[in-house]
Amino acid sequence: MNVAILGCGGMGRLHAQMATNCGLRISYCADAVRKAAKGLADDFGAKAVVDPMKAIEAKDTDIVVITTPTPSHETFVSAAAAAGKHIFCEKPFGRSSEECKRAIRAAEKAGVTLFVGHVVRYFQEFELMRERIQKGSIGKTGWVKLFRGGIFPGAPGSWFRDYKQSGGVTFDCMIHDLDWVRYVFGEPERIFCQTIMRTEPTQLDYSQVTMRMKSGVIATIINTWAAPSGFKVKAEICGSKGMIQFDSTETPLGAEPRQTGSGPTMFVPMSPVAVSPYQLEWQDFIATIGSGHTPRVTPLDALRAVEMAEAALKSNSSKEPVKF
Amino acid sequence: MVKIGIMSFAHLHANSYAACLKALPGVSLSAIWDDNASRGKKMAKEFKTNFVKDMNEFLASDIEGVIITSENSKHRAMVEAAARAKKWILCEKPLAPTMKDAQSIVTTCRKAGVGLGTAFPCRFSTPLIEAKSMLNSGKFGAVYAITCTNHGQYPGGWFSDPALSGGGATMDHTVHVVDLLRWMLGKEFKSVYCELGNQLHNKSFPTDDLGSLHLEMEGGIQVSHLASWSRPKSFPTWGDVTLEFVCEGGLITVDAFNQKVTVFDDGNQQVRYDAWGDNPDMALVKNFVDAVQSRCDCASTGMDGFAATAVTEAAYRSAKTGRTIKI
Ligand SMILES: NC(=O)c1ccc[n+]([C@@H]2O[C@H](COP(=O)([O-])OP(=O)(O)OC[C@H]3O[C@@H](n4cnc5c(N)ncnc54)[C@H](O)[C@@H]3O)[C@@H](O)[C@H]2O)c1
Repeated sequence: MNVAILGCGGMGRLHAQMATNCGLRISYCADAVRKAAKGLADDFGAKAVVDPMKAIEAKDTDIVVITTPTPSHETFVSAAAAAGKHIFCEKPFGRSSEECKRAIRAAEKAGVTLFVGHVVRYFQEFELMRERIQKGSIGKTGWVKLFRGGIFPGAPGSWFRDYKQSGGVTFDCMIHDLDWVRYVFGEPERIFCQTIMRTEPTQLDYSQVTMRMKSGVIATIINTWAAPSGFKVKAEICGSKGMIQFDSTETPLGAEPRQTGSGPTMFVPMSPVAVSPYQLEWQDFIATIGSGHTPRVTPLDALRAVEMAEAALKSNSSKEPVKF
Repeated sequence: MVKIGIMSFAHLHANSYAACLKALPGVSLSAIWDDNASRGKKMAKEFKTNFVKDMNEFLASDIEGVIITSENSKHRAMVEAAARAKKWILCEKPLAPTMKDAQSIVTTCRKAGVGLGTAFPCRFSTPLIEAKSMLNSGKFGAVYAITCTNHGQYPGGWFSDPALSGGGATMDHTVHVVDLLRWMLGKEFKSVYCELGNQLHNKSFPTDDLGSLHLEMEGGIQVSHLASWSRPKSFPTWGDVTLEFVCEGGLITVDAFNQKVTVFDDGNQQVRYDAWGDNPDMALVKNFVDAVQSRCDCASTGMDGFAATAVTEAAYRSAKTGRTIKI
């Protein structure tokens, strides 16, 4: 099968590699910025185009990967569905729940496979925690605490820095945690959120959320795009018979090059695995195409995640909890 | 010799304060009174001091100051009795479970002309003092958001009896952090939203065992605070006090009790953190003794205790109504 990549930024490159690892061929690389399209296309032996519609409609495109900024997701999902192509769309599924619903209808109508990349469901550490929770290793879970984030993403001028486009750390990043909590603990009851969403002097976002699930489980989630450097994930799950902790800064491998004339260097923690979570989500996606297999994350799950993130931002504006 | 007495050993902190009084030069732990006589006698023996069975007799003696470490809901009656006897008072936190009681405590002491302190030892923690001076230096600029935790193991006993404690983990583990932030930033709390849970101990007691609080301070600083009895029995230490300040100029993170060695103890089949570093209780008790001697206020006053209680009371009200509560 042939794969067209729309949006040749960080995620576009990553998914081109994952698709290649799965034995697929990259046929087109489309990016509004020609240099970006050409750079990726050259590396993967694909054709570079500026107009995504060309890549979508091409005969030698079977799968469309959507790794453009979030507000464009729906348009490209609908176009790809209309062209009868299977779709891998990055999270957040859309910039609003209305967009997600339209995208789902378009894919259903066309009878194509639509997959949304909520990759945290495939992270080995999160899978292990889920397995331990469901096995009852810590008794009955009462409280889930998650932390995720680091430096503000994107260079100055990047779409990440326009809150209208990215939705800030709550919508773009915490959506991972909101999805995972719902995945493991079921539907939410209500959510409360405070987020700073600053633009100056320094652009910073920092979001604090408490969500009560219908089961009674309470989730406290902190996400940051306000750290001076790095990226980290922490989890703490408290139960009636114990507690589980995870801390991404504790890694099996680290490297710190010696300082050179050009300035100080930084310690880089690494946690390599033979098969990456992104590879696992690709395997699940491919297994879903043209089969009765239900992937670990469905478009409806991705829609619910967007609804939770929307509710969080609504709570931030009203300073009151939002009920589901 | 400054003579200090202790009223009630219901709260475990009494043991630490008693040890501090014994260790400080120029101070004596003159007497113990306890409404639980057998506990009081036992403690008097342990700390080699006198047990006085009758409270009036205890208060009529020549002790100059008392440390009150009873159950939360008994603070008011004991503080008021001590104030009438013109004793200087250091009261365990929370000053009282309700604003009404806290207000009455403060007013009574003011009218009686006695000094009243609320026991917030974190103000004497060296890492926290350093964090405050970093914040106040201006090097980190404006503070935008703060995430705090005060986790502990389930203390059992009266702590989860609402009649004696006034509330659960949120009552127990919110006031330290509230006082710290007021002290460090010189700003007051404006509002709170709170989710309470009673779900980490199979509902074996009626109070909450976790609180997830969202607060706003003056200047729009957004704060989240996690208060809990969530540390398992197998956890290597009692709990924590942590603060992360997100500032214009960077981050300041505090894990106030993270001065420890890890002990792998085969004999007790236990992995344990043993603490080193400065003992904040010692400085707290010393500050109280100094206040008694110089007839002045403690570092954290009754009004500070009242302000912290105002936040916890609003937090419980928020959990009850499901709404954000103005403080
Ligand atoms: N799952 C994850 O771990 C993860 C991580 C980061 C980002 N994401 C998501 O992936 C998506 C892409 O993020 P990214 O980090 O790769 O962003 P990026 O800014 O690195 O790349 C986006 C690319 O899309 C191009 N582009 C923008 N508008 C376009 C249009 N209309 N048509 C064609 N090309 C266009 C840009 O020129 C840029 O090259 C976002 O939705 C983001 O939220 C997911």
